[in-house]
Amino acid sequence: MALRFRTPHIEELPTAQTKQAPGFAWVTVPSAVEKPAADLSNKKRGTRFAAQGQTDAQKEAHSVRQQEKINARIRELNSDNARAGGVVVPKKEDGSAAGKGKTPNTRKILSSMKHFSHYLDDEVAEFGLTGKVDGMDRLTEGGLLPAASVAGAAQRASKTPLARRLQQDQSTGGSPRPATPSAVPPAATPTDDQGEVIDGNAPFPSQAEIDALLNAPPLLYSAARSAAPPVSAPPPRVFCEICGYWGRVRCLKCGARTCSVDCETIHVADRCLKFYA
Amino acid sequence: MARQKAQAPPSTNLQPRTLILDNGADTIKGGFSSHQDQDNTSSADQCHIIPNSISHSTRDRRTYIASQLSTCLDFGELAIRHPVENGYIVNWESQKAIWEYEFFDDGAKARGLWCEPRGTNLILTEQSSAPIAVQRQADEMVMEEFGFGGYARVVGATLSAFASSPFDGAALEAGVPAECMLVIDAGYSHTTVTPLLHGKVLQSACRRLDIGGKTLTNQLKDLISTRQFELQKEDWMANQIKEDVCFVSQDFDSDLERVWRGGMKDRRKIDHSIVVDYVLPDYEEIKRGFARPHDPSSAARKRQLGIGMPREDLVVIANERFSVPELLFTPSDIGMQSEGLVGTILQSQNPLPVGLWQASLANVLVVGGTSKLPGFVERLESELRSRLSDDIVLRVAHADDPIKHAWTGGQRLAQDETALKQVIVTREEYLENGDGWMRRKFLGKSGG
Repeated sequence: MALRFRTPHIEELPTAQTKQAPGFAWVTVPSAVEKPAADLSNKKRGTRFAAQGQTDAQKEAHSVRQQEKINARIRELNSDNARAGGVVVPKKEDGSAAGKGKTPNTRKILSSMKHFSHYLDDEVAEFGLTGKVDGMDRLTEGGLLPAASVAGAAQRASKTPLARRLQQDQSTGGSPRPATPSAVPPAATPTDDQGEVIDGNAPFPSQAEIDALLNAPPLLYSAARSAAPPVSAPPPRVFCEICGYWGRVRCLKCGARTCSVDCETIHVADRCLKFYA
Repeated sequence: MARQKAQAPPSTNLQPRTLILDNGADTIKGGFSSHQDQDNTSSADQCHIIPNSISHSTRDRRTYIASQLSTCLDFGELAIRHPVENGYIVNWESQKAIWEYEFFDDGAKARGLWCEPRGTNLILTEQSSAPIAVQRQADEMVMEEFGFGGYARVVGATLSAFASSPFDGAALEAGVPAECMLVIDAGYSHTTVTPLLHGKVLQSACRRLDIGGKTLTNQLKDLISTRQFELQKEDWMANQIKEDVCFVSQDFDSDLERVWRGGMKDRRKIDHSIVVDYVLPDYEEIKRGFARPHDPSSAARKRQLGIGMPREDLVVIANERFSVPELLFTPSDIGMQSEGLVGTILQSQNPLPVGLWQASLANVLVVGGTSKLPGFVERLESELRSRLSDDIVLRVAHADDPIKHAWTGGQRLAQDETALKQVIVTREEYLENGDGWMRRKFLGKSGG
């Protein structure tokens, strides 16, 4: 009697949470598909994320988690070295009180330990509540849109499961989503690759139009960010994590990309994260 | 001034000298200019480049403020603290220490940069779309803490409009801005696209790409650390490596093919003209790292191990040379949801009327330290040209000195009294009208 060890069937249910917190979460599974434990019908390699069996909600939850990881990596790339916070400003030799600030306001400013992200959060919160920052208007992506519809959605990826979001969109006629390019029609049709709609000989705008453009309030910091590429653009390029060439081969266990069998051997030996199952 | 009061208006007499500070995240470009000088020459010699950081070396146990860094002999494991984040002054404690050391303390007299704040005007740059709390803090510090005699807070890109134009070669009169310009500032924290009309910002069309010199340095540091040599603590060294060996490829796909050693069945010959050996400094024998062409022979390996001659730390840099700057043009390579620099430029034109597109695209000016990467401007121009229709004229110019360019514009602006009066708020006006009035004036709202 041969002992056969079967790995237990583990299926990750989608949740709207993107943090790896212990515990459990109640989850709505819109379509409870009974997936057989050993599916022998499809023997294609690399079907870890195969379309069969994965609902839209599961795919979307997985991609939200991946995008969060990527965003964390980008924030790290754009930040100063962690050791920089430990650099102490040297005190002046005479130790006079002038070093502390001449007025209460400046003393407060000099002792503030805030980072830019705090100011940004404050501004976003204020704009979300009142539609103005410090009593002055700010431009958002499509002009002076009312705060409620733009500010909340523009800052974080929506945590509503896809199924419910689709329902909402159908009933309310669409709400702005963060990753899609500006939904508000611009002043003129955009420049596209064919360039057919651009006219190099269009008349210079009138003085009134120019004055309106120059007197417009500044954009919100988050609205001035370069938008995501259109859906028709080619998918992002993937590189080999060992040598940097194109990532043509995907590791069966962990999904990391390498370029060839040589690099894949190195990956499996040193860097694959799934070495126990 | 439009706002006339019943009593005599506050004094609009400008102080004789102006301190122009292009307060960047990596360096401050600072120097003086005066509207009372009879010779209206524009000279970049008076611009001093000051590292805007306070660094601490655990090896020497010394702390270096700003330009003291030039006396540092051991840059190993240097912890560098920047008061400017994302283009805005956030940490005023360190910024004040740097300004005091550079401009107000007695030691500054030897460097020719000393000034008495009450008798000097200040032109301070910031990035567009600043959070108002940050602007208020800057205003408060300048007027209350330092007490400058006159103050103007401007968006950095607008100063470039006042410098001599690289397009028609004709030097502008002092204080007269170029008519229309699209300024691309490839800086340390990010890259901004700012369209200008008569030196004023077209606010709805400003765009920002969150990839800058700091991103590229960190990416290079990560790649080398995972592939060859641990550099995680060596910010300064990674920055020098980036400046020494990185370039922007004109044809990314073919360059990547040239340095691939091939798969198991598909052995390729690596083109060694791109591969580079970089010798890392150890700050004892070798004070400054340097690059040399790759030497694949076994003699080179022996040298690395120190057999027969002094040991050197060697890093072989191949596709990192061009795949790191490629992030500026394809940020999706690391998963960032943004279009590249060219896409950002086209996005910035969308909110503007079509009639302005030709004017902006015929006057594209590239400034900023990251634009000094070899091949940057050529690649930008060729990619932009390929995405525009043929009847649009495209002219892209690279500033003569990409780092000092905005400062020279500020210098020209400060040489003309009328132009200066339009931007500067004197201390008397500030005390009379308050900080809210001053903020609106800097936005261009009230009066002039």
